[in-house]
Amino acid sequence: MAGLTRTAGAFAVTPHKISVCILLQLYAPSAQMSLPFPFSSISQHNRLGLYLLSLTKSCDDIFEPKLEDLINQLREVGEDMDAWLTDHLTNRFSSLTSPDDLLNFFNDMRGILGSLDSGAAQDDQIILDPNSNLGMFVRRCILAFNLLSFEGVCHLFTSIEVYCREAHSSSAQYDESNDNLESLIQHDQMDMEKYIMDKATEEVELQKNASGRVPFHLHTPEALFKVTKGLLVTRKEKSRTNTKKAEATQLACASSSTVGDTLVDESLFLRTNYQIQGFLMEQADAIETHGSSLSSSSIESFLQKLQNLAPELHRVHFLRYLNKLHSDDYFAALENLLRYFDYSAGTEGFDLVLPSTGCSMYGRYEIALLCLGMMHFRFGHPNLALEVLTEAVRVSQQHSNDTCLAYTLAAMSNLLSEMGIASTTSVLGSSYSPVTSTASLLSVQQRVYILLKESLRRADTLKLRRLVASNHLAMAKFELMHVQRPLLSFGPKASVRHKTCPVSVCKEIRLGAHLLSDFSAESSTMTIDGSLSSVWLKDLQKPWGQPVFSQESGSRKSSTFFQFCDHLVSIPGSVSQIIGASYLLRATSWELYGSAPMARMNTLVYAALFGDSSSSSDAELAYLKLIQHLALYKGYKDAFAALKIAEEKFLTVSKSKILLLKLQLLHEHALHRGNLKLAQRMCNELGGLASTTMGVDMELKVEASLREARTLLAAKQYSQAANVAHSLFCTCHKFNLQIEKASVLLLLAEIHKKSGNAVLGLPYALASISFCQSFNLDLLKASATLTLAELWLGLGSNHAKRALDLLHGAFPMILGHGGLELRARAYIFEANCNLSDPSFSVSTDSDTVLDSLRQASDELQALEYHELAAEAFYLMAMVYDKVGQLEEREEAATLFKMHITALENPQDEEPNMA
Amino acid sequence: MVSKESCRNEIRAAIRQLSDRCLYSAAKWAGEQLVGIEQDSSNFTPSNTRFQRGSSSIRRRFSTNESISTPQPSVGFSQPPATPLPQEDEVIDGDLYLLAKSYFDCREYRRASHVLRDQMSKKSVFLRCYALYLVLCTIQYFAGEKRKEEEMVELEGPLGKSDAINRELVSLERELSALKRTGAIDSFGLYLYGVVLKEKGNASLARASLVESVNSYPWNWSAWSELQSLCTSIEILNSLNLNNHWMKEFFLGSAYQELRMHSESLAKYEYLQDIFSFSNYIQAQTAKAQYSLREFDQVEIMFEDLLRNDPYRVEDMDLYSNVLYAKEACAALSYLAHKVFLTDKYRPESCCIVGNYYSLKGQHEKAVMYFRRALKLNKKYLSAWTLMGHEYVEMKNTSAAIDAYRRAVDVNPCDYRAWYGLGQAYEMMGMPFYALHYFRKSIFFLPNDSRLWIAMAKCYQSEQLHMLEEAIKCYKRAVNCGDTEGIALNQLAKLHQKLGRNEEAAFYFEKDLERMDAEGLEGPNMFEALVFLATHLKTNKKFDEAEVYCTRLLDYSGPEKEKAKSLLRGIRMAQTGFPSMDMEHFPL
Repeated sequence: MAGLTRTAGAFAVTPHKISVCILLQLYAPSAQMSLPFPFSSISQHNRLGLYLLSLTKSCDDIFEPKLEDLINQLREVGEDMDAWLTDHLTNRFSSLTSPDDLLNFFNDMRGILGSLDSGAAQDDQIILDPNSNLGMFVRRCILAFNLLSFEGVCHLFTSIEVYCREAHSSSAQYDESNDNLESLIQHDQMDMEKYIMDKATEEVELQKNASGRVPFHLHTPEALFKVTKGLLVTRKEKSRTNTKKAEATQLACASSSTVGDTLVDESLFLRTNYQIQGFLMEQADAIETHGSSLSSSSIESFLQKLQNLAPELHRVHFLRYLNKLHSDDYFAALENLLRYFDYSAGTEGFDLVLPSTGCSMYGRYEIALLCLGMMHFRFGHPNLALEVLTEAVRVSQQHSNDTCLAYTLAAMSNLLSEMGIASTTSVLGSSYSPVTSTASLLSVQQRVYILLKESLRRADTLKLRRLVASNHLAMAKFELMHVQRPLLSFGPKASVRHKTCPVSVCKEIRLGAHLLSDFSAESSTMTIDGSLSSVWLKDLQKPWGQPVFSQESGSRKSSTFFQFCDHLVSIPGSVSQIIGASYLLRATSWELYGSAPMARMNTLVYAALFGDSSSSSDAELAYLKLIQHLALYKGYKDAFAALKIAEEKFLTVSKSKILLLKLQLLHEHALHRGNLKLAQRMCNELGGLASTTMGVDMELKVEASLREARTLLAAKQYSQAANVAHSLFCTCHKFNLQIEKASVLLLLAEIHKKSGNAVLGLPYALASISFCQSFNLDLLKASATLTLAELWLGLGSNHAKRALDLLHGAFPMILGHGGLELRARAYIFEANCNLSDPSFSVSTDSDTVLDSLRQASDELQALEYHELAAEAFYLMAMVYDKVGQLEEREEAATLFKMHITALENPQDEEPNMA
Repeated sequence: MVSKESCRNEIRAAIRQLSDRCLYSAAKWAGEQLVGIEQDSSNFTPSNTRFQRGSSSIRRRFSTNESISTPQPSVGFSQPPATPLPQEDEVIDGDLYLLAKSYFDCREYRRASHVLRDQMSKKSVFLRCYALYLVLCTIQYFAGEKRKEEEMVELEGPLGKSDAINRELVSLERELSALKRTGAIDSFGLYLYGVVLKEKGNASLARASLVESVNSYPWNWSAWSELQSLCTSIEILNSLNLNNHWMKEFFLGSAYQELRMHSESLAKYEYLQDIFSFSNYIQAQTAKAQYSLREFDQVEIMFEDLLRNDPYRVEDMDLYSNVLYAKEACAALSYLAHKVFLTDKYRPESCCIVGNYYSLKGQHEKAVMYFRRALKLNKKYLSAWTLMGHEYVEMKNTSAAIDAYRRAVDVNPCDYRAWYGLGQAYEMMGMPFYALHYFRKSIFFLPNDSRLWIAMAKCYQSEQLHMLEEAIKCYKRAVNCGDTEGIALNQLAKLHQKLGRNEEAAFYFEKDLERMDAEGLEGPNMFEALVFLATHLKTNKKFDEAEVYCTRLLDYSGPEKEKAKSLLRGIRMAQTGFPSMDMEHFPL
């Protein structure tokens, strides 16, 4: 408990701060000092001032630069007078030979401050305004020094000795003894660089909460990612400038956030709580953004050290929990989570304690429950998670912690919508929460809706902008996937017509995006992100490190100045995560509504703009969408190549999206190539991924049986396929999955068409079309229309005209948005129609038919869809035969033969990834 | 069998060597064992008998083994030939060594190590390193406190603590490892090396070094106890490659105790008592083991005896105070507290005893104050953390209680009391589901305690969770563990009744009734059981048995009697074959 009451933001004098003070003395020499004014120009003077400003800004960073680094930086700032500056700095340090000198030094420091009732200053003297940034810094230093006891002064004195000694010895050290260290560092560097190159957009998300952002503890102030990236740019460019040794040290300390083991060397000086909390927050970010690619043991050893040094810093346990969460160590994660909350009652860390609410005397154990619930969710125990979250709801109501309640409800709705739970009634029914008890009678979707509404309402009143935004997005997702039906409506007036409402989806998405504009207003009230202070210095290093810097003119410098300021108004990672998620959602909705280009565009916008701040699951989703797009529009070869890249980026743990995608692609591919055994296997594997519990993982289950039916259809086992499809339709109906119903109906029509029973197929196709119409599924509707037309043609060639009309109605949609397969099917069908139309003469109009057939065959070859390709070539050969172009006929015939043999002997050269 | 005389000689030499190297606590321990050896009747001196007379009383009262007077050769210790008494490498200490030792005795460690800076003998090297190590320890110990006063750091153990110290520790480790490599190190040096390694967190190397040390010089108890603290599981203990020596038996006894293998440890101590029949140490350790087995009466007698022999003993007295607390012996506890306070009030044990006393008196604030004091003296004092947690629970300060319990658990993760306390605290806050995890943990360490099972069952039974099936399972386990408080049977019956399983309910009510009859208890539970059984049997048409229960009920007054009467009437009616007609509604 002791750690809780201390205030954050104490200020300690460190050797680094003394160096800054010395430089400040040079910048603004006091009247008594008889130093020569060394600056040759005003701009030079200003540059030093600017540099000092950024140094003072970054003084709350946990890593203080060593003297050596400082000298290196000075060299770049000072240009021609760098030698003078560094000489003065080192001389000044060496003149501090006893504690008494320190005392005198700080007395002198007073002299450079102007008095508050200024005006009596001499003309040629530069006076620091005591209220300016630099002035404040000096005053804080003086105050902190005056508060020191004698022991403190002694301690400071020893640290100064070490500080100076290190600067002298370090270069020698590197050559001689520390070969190991150096190689280690270089190794790390290489790793990091490779990592940066490869994984520019990667992130592994921490907890899959509604928007991919994590409430309370994990709100991500600034992705460390960005920072590291910046540093690496620095590093690479610097290494060209041949100041190798010097920067090796610097990099070591810079990258020690990940290496960890340099911390102890670094931590010569005391840190304030503020600094450490900020640093830990950065680490949490790093764990979140880099996820499992970050070696968990290095973090672990670093945390161990931190814990040894600061046993009362309980935040360490939370970090360890995060780390374990990412290395999928259930027991250790659980243990550390509980430990953290046992110790601190959830009140440590400044992202938590909002000044208005303070902390209740009971602690914040409801947050513990919330975190525990999300942990269970992540590890795939939905029932446990729901129990815990229910308890969280109860406890937060008891302690009237509305903020936590809002987050808990959001987490709960997310859980329900992601996994779906059949037996929620028993769990939720037992609780006396008003929210959940009304929900006990409703279906899962309705419960999700109610929970979301409740969460949104609370978040709105509490002004939790991020939660509001993510709730809006979740709502949009809900609207997108679930058919609107008046909730709890009775009586004759209640509308029974189901439909989706794209307008409301759009509205919700836009509401979610309001966050961006809200943010600027909110930033003043938001709690300060501890890492901002460290960002200062890191940003500082970026421009300094560029070799071009010294050659560039003034314009360049002004731009670097803006970069400093830029950070203060920049958008925190969490916000951009949400905005990014909204783009992904847009892509998903366009996919569903049937506009491939729009979907692709939105995904690309996401990948381009939000890639580096995105949560990993979002990034994964974006990859998935792009790969799917490739498969549909460019064929499998490209898709598999892309998949390989994606697989390297994201760990293929069980049930990950990438694994699903892989199975889907392999299944499709196998179906098209006619390798039915493989298709069946993939299909079974897909089904095996779903949980066995009733009502859980419904989407996955539906997908698996849909694919099973398609496999059976491809194997020409019509009655079995129809059976599967029928039972699937029943399941969809039972679980209220309206959108899936449309595609099942289409499949049924398809089955009847293939089995030659066109009359039976017609009603299914029509039903599917009407479903698609009310749910605004345009692409699916086009495809259903195509099937309908095919069915008409199946009834006899006298219906060819009608079929052709239908097809031409759907053509714009199909050609504009449809995938390769659909387009090819449409082309072939058009040719078929024309050929079977008695009024159509092949000899005169052969080009129309041949054109579409050629189109179709090209696309089908890309897809390796042997069956349809064979058909296309067959038709082509026939047409050529009719027209009398024998050579072309032979060519088409051989191609036909080739496809047929390929279809009949599906080689088992299944892609090595299977 | 090691003869007592040879044991004595070994220990005598060892004490001299140990105190020569300033390993005082090991020397103290060895001294205690030395006088603990039973005197041969031939050559006892009056002073020895005076010392030993008192302790024989316990033997008379609890003569658990008869082999004291008749030593059995078969169970004797096998004296390994490999560990002869080590010869001093220099018979006469150098002048510098003498000076350094005096400095050391005056606690001027830096000076001592400085004096020995160029001495190359093994003994001098050891003392120099040992003194340096102690300097570092003390600095480390005080560093936290000092910094806190300066308020420079918000955290207790400051970051960037004592960088220089760490460096010195590293250089010490390096020097020792270099010495070890060249073989210029004796067993004491190995012991120190092990301690330093342990400090650095390198447990396996530390174990290896300590094992080497005790194998070459087994009489250094400090090395054994360091080794014991590194044996966190029975597998590790069994994997140690230790030479046979009677010191090993002591080690195993204490190690088994730490690993909660109390009966094994008792067996070891019993065996050792053949030789060290008057050792206070063994007696205290036996008492500790008995305490864990909850034999409070026996433990109390043992401690009384111990105090009679060694009235100024403070070690292990906190355990005695726990016993007195459990027996609610206020006066005895206050007497004990007073006594230890006069002896040494700045011992964590004494503070803990006073805390216990105040707790028993219901003055929880004061109790917490004394536990805090104990913890200030020793931050890793397990039982004080747990007891402080209990006090906070009494004071309804749950978050403080949770904090205290959690510290206890982190000191020793096997402390089932603290896990239980954590569960209790969370249950108090209305988080039963969260609490379950902690109850599960505590049960894992002590699966045979019915109280823990009942606590868990209550959690399941709480209105928030309402998971009755699970509760029933827990109660069943509690019954199997021998539920002493008689809660489980009654609850089982009631739960089954609630779930409408009358047969099971009747079974458990009957059992509960048997239990109450056996213990001669009465009360509402009994009425409840009788009424239920009578009604249940009546509806099942077992009128004779039902009548038996009804007549039992008639013995008591109150509403139950009326109920019994009406039941009896109903039974008569049914038996005489009248159509079931409720007579109660007619005025009699």
